[in-house]
Amino acid sequence: MRAAILMKQFALALLMWLGCQNLSLAQGLPDAAVRQQLIEAVLAEGEDQPEKIEALAETGSGMVAAVLAQWRAGNLLVDASPDGAKVLFTREGIDAVRLDTGVKFSPLAPREVETTSKTRKAIKNALDLIAVASPDPELRSAAIGKLGMTRNTDYLPMLEARQVKESDPGVRKALVEAISVMQLADEDDVVCIAAVRKLGEMRSIPSLDLLKGMITSEDESEAAKAEAAKSVALIESYLKKVEAAGTVFRGLSAGSVLLVVALGLAITFGLMGVINMAHGEMMAVGAYTTYMVQNIFGGGLTLSLFGFGAHVPGMNLTGAAYQSYFIWAVPASFLMAALVGIALERGVIRFLYKRPLESLLATWGISLILQQLFRLVFGPNNVQVSSPSYLSGSFVIHDVVLGYNRVFVIGFAIAIVFVTWLLLTKTSLGLFIRAVMQNRMMASCMGVRTERVNMLTFGFGSGLAGLGGAFLSQLGNVGPNLGQSYIVDSFMTVVVGGVGNLIGTICSAIGIGTVDQTLQSVTDPSMGKIITLSTIILFLLLRPGGLFPTRTRSLEG
Amino acid sequence: MRKPENLIMMIGALLLLVLLPCLNAYGPPDSALHVSDYTINLWGKYLCYGILAISVNLLWGYTGLLSLGQCLFFSLGGYALGMHLMLKIGKLGQYYQAGNNPLEMPDFMVFMGFPELPAHWVPFHSFGFSVLMVFVVPGVVAFLFGWLAFRSRIKGVYFSILTQALTYAASLMFFQNKFTFGGNNGLTDFKTMLGANLNDADVRRYLYIATVLLLIAVVALVKWLLGTKFGKVQKAIRDSENRVLFSGYATTSFKLFIFVLCALIAGAAGALYVPQVGIINPSEMTTDKSLEAVVWVAVGGRATLLGPVYGAIFVNALKSWATTAYPDYWYIILGGLFVLAVLFAPNGIAGLPQQIKDIAVGWKRRNASSIEPGATPA
Amino acid sequence: MIKTNLIKAAATLCVAAATLTSSVHAADTVKVGVLHSLSGTMAISETSLRDVLLFTFDEINKSGGVMGQMIEPVVVDGASNWPLFAEKAKQLLEVDKTAVTFGCWTSVSRKSVLPVYEKNNGLLFYPVQYEGEELSKNIFYTAEAVGQQATPAVDYLLAEGKKKFYLLGSDYVYPQTTNLVLLEYLLSKGVPIANIGGGLSKDKAGKVISAGKYTPFGHTDYQQIVAEIKKFAASGDACVVSTLNGDTNVPFFKEYAAAGLTAEDCPVVSFSISEDEFRGLPADQLVGQLGCWTYFQSIESPANKKFIGDFMSWLKTTEVPGIQKEGRVTCSPMVLSYAGVYLWKAAVEEAKSFDVDKVRKVLESGKISFDGPGGTVTMQKNHHLTKNVYIGETTKDGQFKILKSFDNVYGEPFLKGTFKTSSPAKGETTKKKKKAA
Repeated sequence: MRAAILMKQFALALLMWLGCQNLSLAQGLPDAAVRQQLIEAVLAEGEDQPEKIEALAETGSGMVAAVLAQWRAGNLLVDASPDGAKVLFTREGIDAVRLDTGVKFSPLAPREVETTSKTRKAIKNALDLIAVASPDPELRSAAIGKLGMTRNTDYLPMLEARQVKESDPGVRKALVEAISVMQLADEDDVVCIAAVRKLGEMRSIPSLDLLKGMITSEDESEAAKAEAAKSVALIESYLKKVEAAGTVFRGLSAGSVLLVVALGLAITFGLMGVINMAHGEMMAVGAYTTYMVQNIFGGGLTLSLFGFGAHVPGMNLTGAAYQSYFIWAVPASFLMAALVGIALERGVIRFLYKRPLESLLATWGISLILQQLFRLVFGPNNVQVSSPSYLSGSFVIHDVVLGYNRVFVIGFAIAIVFVTWLLLTKTSLGLFIRAVMQNRMMASCMGVRTERVNMLTFGFGSGLAGLGGAFLSQLGNVGPNLGQSYIVDSFMTVVVGGVGNLIGTICSAIGIGTVDQTLQSVTDPSMGKIITLSTIILFLLLRPGGLFPTRTRSLEG
Repeated sequence: MRKPENLIMMIGALLLLVLLPCLNAYGPPDSALHVSDYTINLWGKYLCYGILAISVNLLWGYTGLLSLGQCLFFSLGGYALGMHLMLKIGKLGQYYQAGNNPLEMPDFMVFMGFPELPAHWVPFHSFGFSVLMVFVVPGVVAFLFGWLAFRSRIKGVYFSILTQALTYAASLMFFQNKFTFGGNNGLTDFKTMLGANLNDADVRRYLYIATVLLLIAVVALVKWLLGTKFGKVQKAIRDSENRVLFSGYATTSFKLFIFVLCALIAGAAGALYVPQVGIINPSEMTTDKSLEAVVWVAVGGRATLLGPVYGAIFVNALKSWATTAYPDYWYIILGGLFVLAVLFAPNGIAGLPQQIKDIAVGWKRRNASSIEPGATPA
Repeated sequence: MIKTNLIKAAATLCVAAATLTSSVHAADTVKVGVLHSLSGTMAISETSLRDVLLFTFDEINKSGGVMGQMIEPVVVDGASNWPLFAEKAKQLLEVDKTAVTFGCWTSVSRKSVLPVYEKNNGLLFYPVQYEGEELSKNIFYTAEAVGQQATPAVDYLLAEGKKKFYLLGSDYVYPQTTNLVLLEYLLSKGVPIANIGGGLSKDKAGKVISAGKYTPFGHTDYQQIVAEIKKFAASGDACVVSTLNGDTNVPFFKEYAAAGLTAEDCPVVSFSISEDEFRGLPADQLVGQLGCWTYFQSIESPANKKFIGDFMSWLKTTEVPGIQKEGRVTCSPMVLSYAGVYLWKAAVEEAKSFDVDKVRKVLESGKISFDGPGGTVTMQKNHHLTKNVYIGETTKDGQFKILKSFDNVYGEPFLKGTFKTSSPAKGETTKKKKKAA
C-alpha cells in the first residue's frame, strides 16, 4: 500500500520530527535506563540481538528511534576508549555525541557499528513500532502497513488501541487494512469473513496473495472461501486498472527518454541530412561529463590516456552542495558534446555533405574511435554516477508508482523541445538554420554564412545529444557502450516521425514508447522489442515518409 | 587497364587454388615451403569474408544501395547449413552418449528442454535440402523485404537505416532460446559433413578449395554481369535512378533482382564459412558486422571488381595481427582506417596506385608551373 | 603498375603472417596461452583476468617456474568476437603450441573454442560461473557450477524465511538454464509454483521449458519489470533471484531503488555481480543486496590477505602496457583463474611432464588441490572443483560482507532433472488451526 516511502526519507522525517517533538513519547523509564538498554542492544552479539532491538520499541522513546535511524544510516560509531571499554556515539554534523551520556566528546579511533540484514530488519521493525505514534500521517500509515504484513497478532491490541484515537483518514485506512489482514487468521469465522469483505472493499493489493491462499485452503469454511473469491475478483479488477495507468505513465516516460535521445538526431539528421552514427557517442560524452562534474564536486578523479595519467582534484563537497552537481552537469554536458560535435563537423563531416552514405560510414568509424577512447580514458568498466536525492524516490498515487527521475525526464523532454522550438522559430540563428536547410545556395547568395550555420547546427544537435546523455546517466549505465544501446532506437524514432519534422519526432517517440511498454507488459521484454521493431519496419516499408512526410516537389528529396 | 586485371585474377586464382593447398598437403613440414593447416583455415575464413564483401560491393559500389543487412543473409545461409551439421552430430552428442537423448536431438535442445525435434528442423536431415535452404531462406527474406522497400521507392540512407533495423530485429529474434536456434550460443561443435570428419586436415583443405572455387565463380559472375546491358542499367541506376526510370526501365525489378542475387551470394558464403569456423550465432548478424563488411569494401575499393576481396583480406589480417599486438588500440586503428579511406582514398586499395599516380602527376605539374598558385589537385 | 603493387601487398601480407607464426622457442620456457577479450564489449570483465594471470605467472616464475621451466605467456585478444576466439585458439594450439590455455568468459566463447581443443587435444582452464551441461575431456572448469551459486543462495534465502521467489535474467543460455534448475530446486523444497514469479512458458505437452523473466542484452528500461516485482513483493517475504548480466544491472537497480524497493523488503541476490562489476554500479543503491560466489575479497584469511597484497603491489610495479593500476579489486573469476594456474602447475609437477594426457590423468585423480585465497579447492574426477561457497551482502564501499559460508561444495555440471518436486507444505495461509464455524 503506502509502503513505497523510501526509508531514507523516513529516517530524515523522523529525525526532524524528533527535533521539535522534544521526546514527548518517553514515558515511564528514566532516560539513563533507556540509554543503557539501547547500548546493550547495540553491543549484543548473536541470535538474541534482534529480540533486544525489537524490545527497544516498547520504550517508545524518540531518542531510541533517532539512534536506531542513525544506526541504519551507518552513523552509529564505536570508539575504543583508553581503558578498553567500548564507547558508542553518533555523529551529529561534525560533533560526536556519546550514547551513554548524550554529551559531546572527541573520539580517538572510531569505526562504524556494523549491521547485518537481520539486525537491520529488527531495527526496521522497531522503528515501525515507534513510528506508529509518529505525527506524520504518511509515516504512520507506512509503519502500520508493514506491521500488518508481519501478521504477528501480538501487535493487534496496539493497533486496535490506535484505531480508537486515530483521526487521519489515510492512516485509518491503513489501520483497517492491517487489522483485517491479522483478522484473517482469526478463529471466529464471522470475524474472518468480515475481514475478507473489508479487504475486498478497500482493494487491498498486499492481501491478494493471502486471500487467494484462502480460496484453496482446507482450513477455511465454504462461506469464507466464497467471500474470499469475491474479494479477490474485486482486487484483481482494481489491479488491472492500476496496471493500465502505470503502463500509460511508463510509456510516457519511455517515450520521453526516446525523445530526449532522438531530438539531437532530429536536428542533425532531420534538418541537416547528416547520418551521424556517432550520435550515441555524443550521448556518452554527455554522460561522461556528468560523471566528471560529479567527481569534481566529490573526491576528484584520475584520467589516463596513452600512458599519461592526470589527476583532477575534487572539491570534496558533501550534502546539498554535492547533490547540486547534477544542475551544473546539465549545461556542462551540453557544452562538451557541442564542442566535440563541432570538432567532428569541422574535421570530417563538412567534406561529406554531398555524400550522405559516406558520412554514415565515416561517422561510424569515428564512433569506434570514440568508444575506444572512452575505454582508455575512463577504463573499460562502467563508471558510477549516483543519483541525487531529488531524483531518487517516487510519488505513489492510487498504487501507481511515479518515480521522481521519470517525472523529471518527462518535464525535461518538454523543456528541451520548447527550447529547441524557440531557437528554431524565434532567433536569427533559427531563421538562418531553416533558410540553409531549405535552400543552401539561395541562403548563401543572401549573405548567410552557410559554413558557420552548419557548424552551429551540428553543434546544437550534438549538444542536445549530450543533454540526453546527462539524463541517461540517471537511468542507466555510463560506459563505453552507452551510445550503442540507443542508436537504432533513435534513428527509428526520427524516421518514423518523418524526417525534418519536430512534431513528428515527438509523436513517434511517445507512440513508440507507449507501444513498447504495453507490449512488454503483455509479452516479455525481448518479444516486445522485436514486435515493436518489426511493426516499425513494416510501417516504414509501407509509408516511407513516416507519420508526417515532408511534402516536396523534388524528385531526389 | 583490362588486361593486367585479368592477369592478376589468373595468377591470384592459381595461387589460391593450387599453390596454397599443394604446399599444405605436400610441402615438407618445418620448412618455409609448408603452409600450415592453421593458415589454410585462416585463409578459408578470409575468402568467405571476401565473397561477402563482393556482395556488399555489388549492391553499394555498382547499384548505390548501401545494405547494412548483408550479414543477416550471410548468417541465414550459415544457419541453414549449420542446422544440417547439428543434426549430423547425432550419436556423437554428449547427451546421446550419456544415454538421455534417444531422439538424437542437438544437445542444446536437450538442455533447453525441447520434448522433440521441432518440425521445421526435420527436413534438414537431408544435405540436399539444407543446401537448397542456404539459397532459399536468404533469397525469400531478401525478396520480401526488397519488394516492399523498392516498391515504396526507399533508397539512400533510408534503405541503410531500414536494413540496419531489420538486422537488429533478426538478431534479437535469434538471441531467444525459444526461437529454436540455440539462442546466444548458436550452433556449434559440428563433427561431420557428408560423412567426413570436419576436424580432419584434408577435409578442411577441401572446404578451402570449395571456397576458392566459389570466389572465382562469383567474381566471374559479377564480371560477366557488369559487362552485359543489365550491368550498364545497374550502374545507371546508381548514378541517376530517375533518368533510368524516365528512359522506360523498371528500376524496381532491376534493384530487386540485384538485392536477391546479393543475398544468395552472401548466403552461400555463410554456408561455407560455418563448417570452417565451427560456430554460427546471432552475434554474426549484428549491425556492427554488416558495417564491418562495408569497411572491407571501402578500404579495398568500392566499384572495383577485386577491391572488396583485397579489403576483406587486408582488414581481417590486420585484425588478426592487431588484436595480438595492440589489443587496446584495435578499434582506433579500424575506425581511423575507415575514416581515412572514406575521406582520402575513395577508391581504396584497388584505386591506390591510380591515386598515387594522379597525385604524382599533379605534383609534377605544380612544380613545373609553380608560378601559378591555386592549381592544387582536386 | 597494379600488378607490381599487388605483388608487393601480397608479399607484405605473407611477411606479416610469417611473423605471426614464427616465434622463438627457448628450451627453458614453457608457453602458456591467455585467451581473453581485451577489446570489445567483454573487455570490461575479461581484462582483469588477463592481469591476474600475468601476475600469477610472474609469481610462479619468481619461485622457480614449473618443473624448473619459466612460464612464457602468449596473450591473445578474442576481441569479444566468437569466431575470432576459435581462430585465436587454433593459433595458440597449432602455431604457438602452448602447453595449456587459461581463458574465455562467456559460454559462447567456450563453445566456440571447444571443438578446437578437442581436435588438437589441448588443455583449457575455464574460470567463470556457467550453466553446466557440458563436460569436455579437454576443459577443466574451475568455474562455479549452478550448484555452487544458485542452490546455496536459495537455501540461504529459504532459511531467512523467504517464501516468494522472482526469477529474472538476461535472455541467454546461462540464466535460462540456471532458472530451470532453480525452478526444480524450489519445487523440491516445497515452494508452490504460484510463489515463483517472472512467468513460466510451457510447451504443448505442458512441460515447463522456461521459467522467469528475461530481458535482451543491453536492455535499458526496467520500469515494467520493477512494477511487476513491486506487485509480487507487496505481500512480503519475497526476494528476487537475478541472473542479469553486467551492463543491464545498472538500469535495473536504479529503477529498483527509485520504486522504493529496498533490500529489507525484497532482497535481490545476483550471480553475475562480483567486486569487479561493482566498480561500475551505483553502490549506494545496492547496499544490502546479496551476492553468492566461491570467493569474496573480504575473506579474512592469511592466504587471501597475502594474495591481495601481492597482486596490488604487482599492479603498481608491472610494466605490461594497458593495465589499469588504480582502484583495483579482486573477485571470484580472478581467484579461480589464479587457482587454475596453480592446479595445473601441481598436476604438471606430479606427472613430471607437460604432456596433456598425462596432466589430465593426474588432474582427474581427485588428489590435486590448492589452498587458495578462497579456501582449499580440489579438482574432481568430473573436471569441476570442490570449493567453499559464500553468501555476502554488499556494502557501501563495493565489497561483500560474508553472511554465511558452505564448506566443500561439490561441483556438479549436470543438475537439471535431479530434483524431484515435493508437495507444498500445508497450512501456509493460516497460522492458527480453525474451529469449524
